[in-house]
Amino acid sequence: MLLELNNIFKWVTTGGQRIFLLKDINLQVEQGEFISVMGPSGSGKSTLLNVIGMLDTFDEGEYNFMDESVYSLKEKHRANLYKQYIGFVFQSYHLLDDLTVQENLEMPLIYKKVKGSERKAMVADMLDRFNIVGKKDLFPAQLSGGQQQLVGVARALIANPKLILADEPTGNLNSKQGEEIMELFKQLNEEGVTIIQVTHSEKNAEYGSRIINLLDGRMV
Amino acid sequence: MFKNNIKIAWRSLKKQPFFTFLNIFGLAIGMAGGLLLGLYIYDDLSHDKMFVDADRIYRINADMKFGGAEERTAEVSAPMAEALVNDIPEVEMATRFRNIGSISIRLQDVMDNVREHQIAYADSTFFNMFGIQLLYGDERTALVEPNTMIMTRTAAEKHFPVDQAIGKTLIINDQEVYTVTGVIEDLPKNSIFRDKPIFLAMSGYEDAQLAEWGNHNYYTFVKLVPGTSGSDIQDEMQAMVGKYLIPYAQRFFPGITEQQFLDSGNYVNYSSIALTDIHLHSGRSPEFSTVSDIKNVYILGAIAIILLVLASVNFMNLSTAHSLKRSKEVGIRKTLGSQRSGLIGQFLTESGLIAIGSLLFAIVIASVAMPFYNNLAGKELSIPYSNPFFWLILLVAALVLGLFSGSYPAFFMSRFVAAKVLKGQGDNFIGGGRVRNALVIFQFSISVFLIMGTLTVFQQLRFIQGKDLGYGKNQVLVIGGVNTLEGKKQAFKDAVVRISQVDHATLSSNLPTPSARSSGTYLLAEDRSQEKSINMQQWEVDEDYLSTMDLSLISGRTFDLDKFATDSSAVILNEKAVAVLGKTPESVIGTQFVGGLEGGGNLSTVIGVVKNFHYETLRDEVGSLALFHGGEFASNLAIKLNGGDVAQTIAEIEGIWRDMAPTQPFDHYFMDDSFNASYEAEQRLGEIFMIFTLLSIIIACLGLLGLATFNAQKRVKEIGVRKVLGAGVGQIVYRLSVDFLKLVGLAVIIALPLGWYAMDRWLQDFSYRIDIPWWIFALSALMAVGVALVTVSYQSIKAAVVNPVKSLRNE
Repeated sequence: MLLELNNIFKWVTTGGQRIFLLKDINLQVEQGEFISVMGPSGSGKSTLLNVIGMLDTFDEGEYNFMDESVYSLKEKHRANLYKQYIGFVFQSYHLLDDLTVQENLEMPLIYKKVKGSERKAMVADMLDRFNIVGKKDLFPAQLSGGQQQLVGVARALIANPKLILADEPTGNLNSKQGEEIMELFKQLNEEGVTIIQVTHSEKNAEYGSRIINLLDGRMV
Repeated sequence: MFKNNIKIAWRSLKKQPFFTFLNIFGLAIGMAGGLLLGLYIYDDLSHDKMFVDADRIYRINADMKFGGAEERTAEVSAPMAEALVNDIPEVEMATRFRNIGSISIRLQDVMDNVREHQIAYADSTFFNMFGIQLLYGDERTALVEPNTMIMTRTAAEKHFPVDQAIGKTLIINDQEVYTVTGVIEDLPKNSIFRDKPIFLAMSGYEDAQLAEWGNHNYYTFVKLVPGTSGSDIQDEMQAMVGKYLIPYAQRFFPGITEQQFLDSGNYVNYSSIALTDIHLHSGRSPEFSTVSDIKNVYILGAIAIILLVLASVNFMNLSTAHSLKRSKEVGIRKTLGSQRSGLIGQFLTESGLIAIGSLLFAIVIASVAMPFYNNLAGKELSIPYSNPFFWLILLVAALVLGLFSGSYPAFFMSRFVAAKVLKGQGDNFIGGGRVRNALVIFQFSISVFLIMGTLTVFQQLRFIQGKDLGYGKNQVLVIGGVNTLEGKKQAFKDAVVRISQVDHATLSSNLPTPSARSSGTYLLAEDRSQEKSINMQQWEVDEDYLSTMDLSLISGRTFDLDKFATDSSAVILNEKAVAVLGKTPESVIGTQFVGGLEGGGNLSTVIGVVKNFHYETLRDEVGSLALFHGGEFASNLAIKLNGGDVAQTIAEIEGIWRDMAPTQPFDHYFMDDSFNASYEAEQRLGEIFMIFTLLSIIIACLGLLGLATFNAQKRVKEIGVRKVLGAGVGQIVYRLSVDFLKLVGLAVIIALPLGWYAMDRWLQDFSYRIDIPWWIFALSALMAVGVALVTVSYQSIKAAVVNPVKSLRNE
């Protein structure tokens, strides 16, 4: 078992009224799964992803990640945990504009305190694997959207995470580029990486081994 | 349109209270500082301009070299005034003043004396010369008769109602009887007559009537006929050397000619200085009243401009930085058809509003700070609220400043391209970063420079105050006005010495701390030629002077009247005098001098030599000095205490004083206090420097705070991404702060050499000065970096702890 959510609730209070963002979520994810989260806008997909990624907190329930109770962890420990095991892919890539492709890839490794020589090797490896060696000195603005997302995925993978969380990774891409990214995810999954993606597209959802549908914060 | 502009400007300012506050506060501090300094400078520049005919009044100066001493005096001899009027047709009238320091004064039938300072004798042309009106009395007759006096309103009110003043009889120093013939309004604070309460009739002052061309003791003012200036009388004035001075000198150096006089390297050069220039350009000491220096005006003016520029720069920085938030507004306005000029107008309206708001705030700050400032600056300034011209200048200045500050942001922001800003993609298009960085560097360079200046000024002051001056000034209590004791002086001294806390006491005419001086010309008995004559300070002291003042004897002995009856005509020289005479401390012993030339000459014999001590401020070198034995003209008793309860000792001494002189005020002070007072100008400069340094740092920090805020906002996305990728708070704070610190570091590198250069120049004014120590550089740099770090880190930490989910959510 990679992670386990039991009776997770999350709410905000406006005007004295509780609005539930997540309501009684129960979810078990095994190592090697490829899960697609679907649902209309505002159904809580991104919130769920953020909770799983430990970027956001929840108000009630229990979350165990690799048999550790996330709720009781200190901020620092929690950061270490996701630094170690989780990679993120965003819809709008979120590459740092001032850094080159190579430097963008290097960044998570710096934060993981990987040594310089080792870092170079890992970055070179990743550039090679994604066929973007020629682009390593370019800035994000000089790349197409698909290429940028490729870098985004590479960056998420570089620290060897156990879990990749992707929030509409193809949302800003055209269909051809989107297909390529999804193929890449499928391949990664076959290599043993666990993936949870949020998507609007039925077609993309099909790549997953399991589909979770959300409506108003509830699993349906 | 304009009304609409104002409305929108008002709303947009209200919507951003923090930003508006930073802007207004920064500008207001700059303006308040500028206002205060401006009033100070205006006051200095308008010094003495209030007198009618001020443009025609000149004062005569003399540059002299005689007897080994070079002097630049603001005084000339007593008979010169009359000669000027008689010989030079351009001179309409002349007025002489002679300062005599402090007096005790009382009404004839009242016992208690009032102590008044800065008393002067004045010629009766005083009123006509300066156009001064008498409140009571007659300009034509006041000060004409001997033993008459005029008083200012304040001085008169200490004794009687002003309207009853005329004809009242006052006793000065318990012996001289004077009649009041006039009362004048208190004299303007920004005139050479500031702090002068009483003028005595010159006609009753014997010395003023003598044809003594050799003694230069009279401040002499002339009024020229309209259309002439000081340079027009230069030649005729200089001719007086040959016409009067040389014939006078022949009485002592028979047969001397002007040529011989000049050939021996001596000279007397007369010159004139305009009345209105005296305050800032005289540079002579002593002066008729305290003067300033044009250099201070330049320094303060520079500080005022720097403050305003800093504030203006701040405004530009904050506004352009803030433009990120307003880019969308600009875009929408442009798509709605606004022209660029319309946007510029909008932004300038906003800066105009801010400028006026800041002005109001600045006036409040300035008026609250005014009493402290006056205290600090030693002035009596006030904000001329009722002067419409002042308001006009202020308003125009504020608007100019506002528009100037607003121009760059306005042109900068109106350049945004609508399509780009509306898409909200990336923030890099906003740019202007380089300009902002340059401005930050500029601000901090100035701050570092000012910090260095402040530290150096205070360090020099400490050096002066701690320097070994060659005499001991600690725990020396001085009792002034002992001349009023008359024959009881010695008895007073004897009684004081019996107090167990008193080590030594000495009666003397002069003290080593800077004060009124008197000098004279002496001839060697063995060679009475003018080449061998020497000009020396002539102080009268008693046999305890050396021990009380802790002066060290390097050859010979001190006075000892018990063993050597002839010591009443003995003299002790300082090293400098010995050097001027071309002798050694040993060989000079036994040399005889002729002094008191005008009175026929009396002989004194050198019995000892003391080590040089600094009896002038450390700006000047030590000059020739002779200590004569005699207590006749002693005006003070200096008392060396040996600790114990000082207050108790003073009370005891006062008790003795009360017994001996029940009607005289007990005037006492400590010698180191009076020493420190002679560095008041430096002290003030130091304090003013410090305050405005503080202000400039505050302004620079406000700017930095604004920029840090902006920077954190701009990099919200980056921070979010980095955090998601595992960056800790510390790493983020470091990233956000390090860029600013680089700028500050660059500023330090720029400012330190400049600061070193400027302060080195300032120190050149002192004959005895510090080398700027290395730690001043280090401390200035450290302070700037420290302050910047504190300012920046708050915003950085705030940005770093934000949950990245929030900053990355909005797609």
